[in-house]
Amino acid sequence: MLFLMIAEAVLALVAWQLSGGGLIPTPVKVLQSLGAIVTERDFIDNLFSSLSLTIKGMAISIIIALVISYLSMIPFFHPISRFVVKCRYLTLTGLIFLFTLWTQNGHQLKISLLIFGIVPFFVTSLLAVFENISVQEFELCTTLRMNSWKTWLEVVIRGRLDQVFEVMRQNFAIAWLMITSVEGLSMSEGGLGVMLIKANKYVQLEKVFGTLVIIFILGVLFDYILGKMRHWLFPYTQLQIRHS
Amino acid sequence: MNYTKHNVLLKADGVNLQYGDKQILRDINFSIQDIHRPEVSQGQVVSLIGRSGIGKTQLFKILAGLIKPTSGIVTIEEDQHPVAAGEMGIVPQHYVLFNHRTIYHNLKIGLDNAAVKLSDDEKKRIIADYAETFELTEHLKKYPAQLSGGQRQRVSIIQQVLTGNKFILLDEPFSGLDILMIDKVIKLLLRVSTLHEQNTLIIVSHDIENAAAISDTVWILGTEEGKPGATIVKEYDLCKTDLAWRPDIHTNPDFIKLIQEIKQQL
Repeated sequence: MLFLMIAEAVLALVAWQLSGGGLIPTPVKVLQSLGAIVTERDFIDNLFSSLSLTIKGMAISIIIALVISYLSMIPFFHPISRFVVKCRYLTLTGLIFLFTLWTQNGHQLKISLLIFGIVPFFVTSLLAVFENISVQEFELCTTLRMNSWKTWLEVVIRGRLDQVFEVMRQNFAIAWLMITSVEGLSMSEGGLGVMLIKANKYVQLEKVFGTLVIIFILGVLFDYILGKMRHWLFPYTQLQIRHS
Repeated sequence: MNYTKHNVLLKADGVNLQYGDKQILRDINFSIQDIHRPEVSQGQVVSLIGRSGIGKTQLFKILAGLIKPTSGIVTIEEDQHPVAAGEMGIVPQHYVLFNHRTIYHNLKIGLDNAAVKLSDDEKKRIIADYAETFELTEHLKKYPAQLSGGQRQRVSIIQQVLTGNKFILLDEPFSGLDILMIDKVIKLLLRVSTLHEQNTLIIVSHDIENAAAISDTVWILGTEEGKPGATIVKEYDLCKTDLAWRPDIHTNPDFIKLIQEIKQQL
């Protein structure tokens, strides 16, 4: 499968190069631009800015999303979590003005928007995980004489930690996707999004594509690392139930 | 065979279950008595036989205290108090275990919540003893997903035993197992039933022959003409008919006749 993927990617790149690209820069030009970008003086600063913003946003979002999702098991909080799920359909653009008033500086504004954008997706995935818990698991806890608190801890928290991690991995892509958008709201801190906006403004297509490739590679790399971490932290996730 | 019946350990008195207008269970009455045999810690094994969808699972959950009957009561133990959730162990058909815990920790959870408080060293020793007795020693560090169905079933049963549950309900314990595995399960159940004088296993099964072969009592859950809901239409006391605790039971002509009779009841 890996060989097939590599072969198909190489074929696509060769076809892209041979076609001349038209408006889109050819792979060789993108590669040259990529080399130039990574050697730029402020590249590391921009990269660090984007990464720290993403990680900080992710960390706060997962905590908020977990609290909302866990509380949703209490009937009083259920409508709140359902409302948060529906917030996926709220556009961030319309809320920028409100968030600008609420926050004190550009960094807070970016973090707030990132969190507001990610949390509904996190909550949606987490609720799906919790709703899929089989009744038999709760019944097992009852027969093992576990009280409500122990049952909740065992089944909902410990028993689903691996899936919470998987939700985090899957939603990292959303956070990474949003980062370039929110960075444009306050450019003083820099970031890959700022690099992208500047390159777009001056129609430096090679640089735009070079930055996109960096964002893409980093995203794939993080996905891979988080996947490996999940298997390391929760070894049982690699096992398939035997039916014999 | 020499035996005596003593105190009532489990009793269902006029149990009815109704969902809306639909009567699921009607006037269920039975009792399980403590059986004594000389020189054996003889527990009780009862089979509940009935067709699919008749209400076996609902009765199972009522006995376990997981759902409340519309009317009637289930009482357990010598003091005959109403059953509460957690007083009866359940081994579901698909052997639910904590997949995020190793077999050792799955068993330890049973001991952690037992009425008797033990030190970690004592728990370790008890788990090691049970693992050796029930051929699970080499699997203690594994996760449930690494075990076969039969092995998971064994863990599930032992987990309930370690919790201190003397009453264990088993849902279809022979389902999906090959002949060799069924033999092993039968041996395991017989062993569990003789671990303690008051250990009581209630087996819900479609497999009439194997369930009856290890039971001292067989209940047939069925319907009566013109009456809604399922009830126990027949009770077979295999101790009385000398068909209980016999290793060669499968070839016994009376047993074969009994199986035919049970099949006709369904």
